[in-house]
Amino acid sequence: MAKKLLLLASLLLSGAALADQPVEDDGFTQPLKDLKFNAGLDQREFERSTWQALNVYDPLESWNRRVYHFNYRVDEWVLLPVVNGYRYVTPSFVRTGVSNFFSNLGDVPNLLNSLLQLKGKRALQTTGRLLVNTTVGIAGLWDPATHWGMPKQSEDFGQTLGFYGVPAGPYLMLPLLGPSNVRDTSGLVVDFGAEGQINYLNMSELSSEHPEITVLRGIDKRYTTNLRYGQLNSPFEYEKIRYVYTEARKLQIAE
Amino acid sequence: MAPRRTHHGHYPRETAMLRLRCLAAVLLGGLLYGASALADDIDKATYGFPLTNPFEATIATTPPDLRPALPTDEDIDQSDYTLRLRPEREFILPDNFWPVKQLRYRLAQQDHPAPLIFIIAGTGAPYSSSLAEYLKKLFYGAGYHVVQLSSPTSYDFMAAASRHATPGISTEDADDLYRVMQAVRAQHPKLPITDFYLTGYSLGALDAAFVSKLDETRRSFNFKRVLLLNPPVNLYTSVTNLDRLVQTQVKGIDNTTTFYDMVLGKLTRYFQQKGYIDLNDALLFDFQSSRQRLSDEQMAMLIGTSFRFSAADITFTSDLINRRGLIIPPAYPVSEGTSLTPFFRRALQCDFDCYMSEQLIPHWRKVSKGGSLTQLVDQVSLYALEDYLRSSRKIAVMHNADDVILGPGDLGFLRRTLGPRLIVYPYGGHCGNLNYRVNSDAMLEFFRG
Repeated sequence: MAKKLLLLASLLLSGAALADQPVEDDGFTQPLKDLKFNAGLDQREFERSTWQALNVYDPLESWNRRVYHFNYRVDEWVLLPVVNGYRYVTPSFVRTGVSNFFSNLGDVPNLLNSLLQLKGKRALQTTGRLLVNTTVGIAGLWDPATHWGMPKQSEDFGQTLGFYGVPAGPYLMLPLLGPSNVRDTSGLVVDFGAEGQINYLNMSELSSEHPEITVLRGIDKRYTTNLRYGQLNSPFEYEKIRYVYTEARKLQIAE
Repeated sequence: MAPRRTHHGHYPRETAMLRLRCLAAVLLGGLLYGASALADDIDKATYGFPLTNPFEATIATTPPDLRPALPTDEDIDQSDYTLRLRPEREFILPDNFWPVKQLRYRLAQQDHPAPLIFIIAGTGAPYSSSLAEYLKKLFYGAGYHVVQLSSPTSYDFMAAASRHATPGISTEDADDLYRVMQAVRAQHPKLPITDFYLTGYSLGALDAAFVSKLDETRRSFNFKRVLLLNPPVNLYTSVTNLDRLVQTQVKGIDNTTTFYDMVLGKLTRYFQQKGYIDLNDALLFDFQSSRQRLSDEQMAMLIGTSFRFSAADITFTSDLINRRGLIIPPAYPVSEGTSLTPFFRRALQCDFDCYMSEQLIPHWRKVSKGGSLTQLVDQVSLYALEDYLRSSRKIAVMHNADDVILGPGDLGFLRRTLGPRLIVYPYGGHCGNLNYRVNSDAMLEFFRG
C-alpha cells in the first residue's frame, strides 16, 4: 500500500512538474490526442477478450501438450534439417514445380468438398483450375490458373462437416500433423480415403508402389507450411496456436 | 556486392576527414537554416509515404510496391546458432522450457571480408521477428555480415541470457546484450570482419544506445556507427502510452461479442465479400479500404493488445525465473503436460505499469539501494545518455513525428541533443516506415558514411 502511495505521489509530482513548464512545439503530432478513451482507463476489455479466447474445449490438454513438445522436437531435429537439405540440393524452380504438382492433386478434394457444400461458383472455378493446370500446366507442374483469375480455394471434409453444423469437438494436437480437432481429424481421414479411391493421375497407385513419392510429398508439405514451433516466442505458445487454429477454421468454414 | 566504403587503417586521416565532414555539415546547415544544429525534418509533401494514419502505418507498414528490393532467403548464407550462457538455468527452469535454455541468434555471412552489423529487436521480439528479418535482408544486400539478436525483454533472452531476468534497467540489459555479442564474436573467430556497426528498432534502439555507451569503456567492438530507429525517449511515457492503447472506446463490443470476436467478424465478412481467402502483404491495405475497415480506436486497441501479450510474457517469465511467487508458486511442479493456462490468465492482467511496480522497481531498489520512480525513469531513458548522445558523432536517430510511443517534448529532447544527426519523418507511426524505400536508402546511406 505504501509503495502504491509513493508511486502515486511521484506520479502526481512528475505530472505537476510537466504542467509547470509549457512544452515547446517540437513537431510532435500527438497521435493519441484524438482517440476516445474510457474515462476510468479500466475497461478490462483486453482481459475479458483474452480470457474468453482461452476457453477452447480441450479435455485432452495434458496429452496435447506432450504432443506439442514432441512435434517441436521432431521439427527441430528432423523435419527442418530435412527441409533445409531439400532446399540446398534442389533449385528453386524444381521446388515450385513439386509444390504445384501436389497442390494440383489437392484440388481434387477441394472440388469434391465444394460440391458437397453446394458452392457452385467455387466448384466451377476449381474444375477450371484442375483442367487448366493439368493440361496447360503439364500435370500440375505450373499453376497458370491462378494468373488467369482462378485462385486456389481450399475446402476439406472437415470444413464440409463444419458447414453442415458439425461442432469442432475436442481440440487435438496430432503427432507430426499439428493442431486439429476431432471433427477435422475425421475429415482428414475421409479426404485421404477419397483420394485413394479416385486415384487422380494414377497417383495413389504409384505412391503405394513408390514410397519415395509419399516422402517427397511430406517434405513438400513441411516446406510449404509456414508454422514454426517457437515462432511466437512465448511461454504461452500452446494456448495461442490453439486459439488461432480454432478461429482460422471457423473463418474458413464461414467463408 | 561489397559496401561502397573503403577502410583505411589511418586514424589521423579518418579524424581529419570526420572534421572536414562536420565542418561541411555545419556550413551547409548554417547556409540552409541560419543555425548550426537543426534536425533533418523531412517535408510531408516530398516524403511520399502514403499512410498518413499512424495506426494504419504501425499495423500494415509500407505498401509492398514502395518497399526496397531485397535479397531472398535463398540468396543469403545464414544459420541459427546457440549460445550456452547461463548453464544454471537448465536446472532452474522446468522441463517444458527446454527450447529457451540456450540462446539462439541468427548470423548471415558474406563470402568476403566485410563489416558486421548487429540488429537488436524491439519489445518482446525475438531475433527472428519480421522487422529484424527485414533489416537483415536490407543490410545483407548491401554487403554486410548481419547478426540478429533477441530483445532483452523477449522470452528466450530472459530465460537463456539475462542475469537477473528482470528487463527494464537499460544499463543491465545493455550489459547482458554486450556479453551475448562478445560470445557471438567468439563463436566465429574466422569470420573476416572489418568493422562493427550497431542498430536496433523500438526498445532495441534504446538498448543499442546503452550498448554503444558501454562499448566506449569495454572496447570490444569500437562501433563505427550506431543507428537508433524509433527509440523510446522516456521509457515511462512509452509504456504508459502502450498500456493506454487498450483503454480506447471500441465500437462493436458488448456482453456477447469480445474485441477479438469483433475483429474476426469483420475479417470473415471481408473474405465473404471478396469470395475467397488470400493472405498476402497487400491484404491489410485492401482490408482497410473495404467497408469492414477498422477505426482508429479499434486499431489502437489491436496495437495495445499485442504489447499486452508481451507484458504478460515478461511478467510470467520474470516471476518464474526469480521465483517471486506473484504469478506461479515457486515450488509448483511443471512438466511437459502441465497446463500453464491458469498462469497465463493471471499474467495477462498485468500491464507494463503493473510489471514495473510489482517486479522491476522492487528488484531495482534491491540492487541499487533505493530510489524513486522518477530516478528510475531518468536512469533507464535516453536522458541518462544526454551528454554521450550530444558528443558522440557516430550515433544517429531516425524517428517519426506521429510515433505512438513518444510524448510531448520527446522530439524536442532529441532535437536539442542530436541536432543534425536526427532525422524526423512526418509519417510512419511506430516503425511503420522502416521498410519504405526512402527510409531504407537513408539507413544505408548513414552506414556507408
